[in-house]
Order: sequence, then C-alpha cells, then structure tokens
Amino acid sequence: MKPFKRIFLIEDDSISVFLVKKTIEASNFLTDIKVFNDGLEAIEYFEEIVGHADLFPDIIFLDLSMPVMDGWAFLEEYMQMQPRLGKDIALYVTTSSISPHDIERAKSIRVVSDFLIKPLVTYKVVELLSKLN
Amino acid sequence: MDTLFHNTNDAVIVMDELGVIMHWNPKAEIIFGWSATEAIGCYFHNICLPDHNCEPYLKMIKQSSQGQLVSETMEIVAQRKNLAEFEINLGISHAAINGKTFLIGFAIDITERNQVRDKLDKQKEFYENILNCIPTDIAVFDANHKYIFVNPKAIENEELRKYIIGKDDFEYAEYRNRDDSVAKLRREQFLEIKKSAKEIRWEDSIKDPNGHTITHLRRLFPVFNEKREISMVIGFGIDITERKLLEEKQTAILNQLSSQNTQLVDFCNIVSHNLRAPLVNMAMLANFIEQSTDEDEKKLLISKLNPVINNLHNTFNELVESIQIRQDHEISSEDILLEDCLQRALGGLELEISACGGVIEKNFYDAVSINFPSKYLHSIFQNLVGNALKYKSPVRTPLIRLESKREGDSIILSVSDNGLGIDLVKHKDSIFKIGKVFHRHPNAKGIGLFMTKTQVDAMGGRIWAESTPDQGSTFFIEFKKQKI
Repeated sequence: MKPFKRIFLIEDDSISVFLVKKTIEASNFLTDIKVFNDGLEAIEYFEEIVGHADLFPDIIFLDLSMPVMDGWAFLEEYMQMQPRLGKDIALYVTTSSISPHDIERAKSIRVVSDFLIKPLVTYKVVELLSKLN
Repeated sequence: MDTLFHNTNDAVIVMDELGVIMHWNPKAEIIFGWSATEAIGCYFHNICLPDHNCEPYLKMIKQSSQGQLVSETMEIVAQRKNLAEFEINLGISHAAINGKTFLIGFAIDITERNQVRDKLDKQKEFYENILNCIPTDIAVFDANHKYIFVNPKAIENEELRKYIIGKDDFEYAEYRNRDDSVAKLRREQFLEIKKSAKEIRWEDSIKDPNGHTITHLRRLFPVFNEKREISMVIGFGIDITERKLLEEKQTAILNQLSSQNTQLVDFCNIVSHNLRAPLVNMAMLANFIEQSTDEDEKKLLISKLNPVINNLHNTFNELVESIQIRQDHEISSEDILLEDCLQRALGGLELEISACGGVIEKNFYDAVSINFPSKYLHSIFQNLVGNALKYKSPVRTPLIRLESKREGDSIILSVSDNGLGIDLVKHKDSIFKIGKVFHRHPNAKGIGLFMTKTQVDAMGGRIWAESTPDQGSTFFIEFKKQKI
C-alpha cells in the first residue's frame, strides 16, 4: 500500500486551492494533491490514466462553479467513464454554495459520496481520510 | 243546402234587403245568444250590433237598398244577447231568389283569432326587441349562405340591413365596394359547417376608426330540420375586447411574476454561491492568520486577502448593478444611431482590436437606429464585441459582423463571430447566467452576457444565441416595440 493519500482537487479559484491545500496539510496525513483548474482538465487526465489504477486518486474534491466544464458537467462525464475506471473513488462535492437545490441535486448523483459546504475544516478532512482504508 | 245551413261553422243569417232577419241558423244562435224564434223578424243590427258601432253595416244596407250590389266583408264589433261585445268577421252578399233580393250574412267569432294574433304580435315584438337590442351581432343564413336575418348590432344602417336579406357576403361586399376577402373566408367557414355539421368558433380582431383593436368572439352554428338537414346557420359575435384586454393584462402579469420568480431563484443562487465564495475564503484566511505563528506565512496569508476582497467587491457591485437595471423602470429610451453607438463602444476596445487585427463589418441599413437606453446599448455592444474578441480562435483572425434587421415592429440586432463558439447542447441553459465561463481566459468572469441579458430583459426584449464550437457564435437581440 502506498504511503500517501492521492487527492484530486478540481477547483478554479487559486485562493480556494491554496486554502484547501493548507487545510489538508494541517491534517498531518501524507498526501499528494493534484490540482485541476476545471472539470475538463480532470476528465482529460482521467482519460490518460485509465488502466493505471495506481495513479487513481483516493479521494476527489470537486468544486461546482468552474469555467469551461463546471462540476455538474464533470459529474456527467465522470459517471460515463466510471465503469472503465473499475474502482469506486470517494468523491466530495465541495462548494461555497448553500443552495438547497444544489445540495439535493448533488446528493442524487450516484458517484457523489457527500456534499461539503465550504469552508472545509481540518477535522472533516481527517475524518474523510481516515475513512479510506 | 239545408244541411249546410244547419251544420256550418259560420253563423248564417238570411235577411231581406232591409236587413230584417228571415233565417237564423243554429251557429248564429250560439254565437249571438238569440234563438231563431227571437231573432227572426228583427233587424240584424238592432239585436246583434251595438249602437255605437253599426255605422259601416248600416251604410252597406243603405247602399244595398238603393239597388247597389254589395258583397263585403268587415271586421266589426258585435253584441250578444247578454250585451257582451265581441269581434266578428261579417261577410254580406247579395242573393236574388225568385226575383226577390236577399242579403246573406256569414259571421265568424274572431275574438279568439284576434287574441291569438295580438299575442303573436306581442311575442314577435318581444323577440324582435331582444334581437334588436341585444349587444351581440346576429346574422341568420339559409342553407345556401344567403342572409335571412341581420340584427341592428350587426348592421346598424337600416337600409343596408334591408338590402342584405336574400343576398350573400359576396353581393354585399360588392355593394359596399369592399374586397371579397372576408366573404371568401366566411364562405369557407360556411362550407366547413355544412360538411362537418358542427359549430365553429373563432376570435377576430379589427381596428376601430380610432385605431383601437376590437376583438369579437364569433360562433357559427347550424340548425337542423327534422330530416337532420341544415335548415339555417346562425352566426353571432360578442365583443370581448375588455375580456381580451384583461386576459392580456393577466398574461403579462403572469409572465412578469414568473420571470421575477426566476430572477429571485437566480439571485438566491448568486448570493448563496458567488457572494459566499469570497466570504468563505476571507473567513478561512483570517482563521489561518490567527493560528499562524510564522511571520512570513502571516504575510503571505495577508497578501492573499486583498484579491479576495476585490473579488467580493466586484461581485457585489455587479449584483447591485444588475438589481438596479431590473428596478429601473424609469430609465428613458432614446433613438440611438447604431453606427454612433458602435463606434463609441469600439473606442473602448481599440487595444484589443489592434492587437489581434480583428475585422469589424457592419450593416445597419435596414434599421439605422434603435429606441433603447443609450447606456445599455453601449454596454451591449461592448460586451458582445468584447466577447467576440476575447474568445477568438487561435488560428483565425477575428471577423465580427454586426447587422440590424426589421421584423414587424421589432428590430433584430445580430453580432456574429468566427471565434471559439459555445457548445449549446451542453450549455444552453447557462450561457446567460452569472459566473458562467465557457473558455479559459484570464479575464473571463461570467458577467458580460449576464448583464446584457439583464438589460435586454428589463426593456422587454429577447436575447438568444446560435453557435457551433470552433466555428463561431451569433448573438441575436430582439428590440421590441420599435417605431416602424
């Protein structure tokens, strides 16, 4: 088993990226964080690594509001791709939106593990990372 | 002869030439109340006519006695034995038997008949009153589409109303020097009814002499005879202008409400996301700053605060602006020359245009000017042309075409480019939403199209787009209620 948790952070806002990274670091887990500035970048990377399960993330943090391909569009593409990945990856929608409509919609999507409202706090990150075997 | 005399339904009275009763049949006994024994030998007028009303009869008798041959029928008030007065139809004729002159009278009690006639007259008046006074156009046609009846509401002029009876719409149109388009339409409708044997209804709107639109609800329905054939067709029209106006008002209010509701939902989303995002960042930064013991790290964190605050500030200002646009019903429209307004907007984009060598083509010949708030139109040009430049193709020199076209009392402005395009299958619902960005660009904030749509919506217009990814986009704006 690899000694660190691989995390994909799909998020366009650089400050948010900085803050989430900082929060994860504070959890004291060994992590490898890969940042994608929009959904399309992430999808393109997944296409590259299909078949290389060792490169799959352990956990995905997905923002909703992004240019080019937003979180919703990413989820659609990702769901279609998921059977080819052959692995269930924990995926958390992390957004500053508190719209009940967004929450409902996100929770109804099969591949979404949970909906997290920002700010993301360290103890939550600890909890999520601990849950991974 | 005798049987006839006894059994006829008329009272038969045989008199001599002076009017003295000689024969008096059983029906006469019943009608007048006098028995034959009582009546015979008396003057008819003495026992059967009231004094005040026997003048015409006596005149006739006088003529008869002077040798004139009379044969006359009169309606006259008679009197029974019990002095009750009633109306009879009295026919008197001469008869010469064996050289002697007789007068033969036939009398029928017409009280009932007259009562029936009166009643019918009254009924007729009653129905005519209804048909003439009812605030509804009524026309009745025979099975061949000729007019049988038209009420004054349908044709006010009495002469025309009389003329049209027995004629059809074609004859009427010719008589009034009108073209026969309405007549043709009505004939089609009539044939349709004859074919389907079902009523049809429709609404038609015409302009009254003052230019107001008057709307009628019209119905044409067939009436059948006992053989199930169409015996006539009744058409009527009710003025529903007021109802129509009310309906239009309600629809407008409904649309407004539903659009306001959409705006409210959008606004909620904007507040809960676009405003909350920088706030969350600020809170987290503040938190880290508090916890940090490292001076350098603190400095780094503090340096990140400013962009977040600016972001919040900008988003907030844009939101306020968009609300102001929605609230500002007072903003005044003016006639703006498209060419002038475009040149001003291009002035602000000079750097971008010269940097990419973009070409702007325009064709404003069909509609030279638009009635709109000048501030908004300027911002629309700036946004649409700005976008076309911002999202240009990496391999094509930007070519931007602007065109104005008239459509009814609207003007459609189109701005098309050969840029990156937008995948409308995926983004159809979101292209005009706040914060939606479709291409990576450092200055893309997802505000331009949102503002443009807000401005167009606020003025009752419409905006939409057509696009093919990697070929280009065309944005269309419909400016409504323009001067023709």
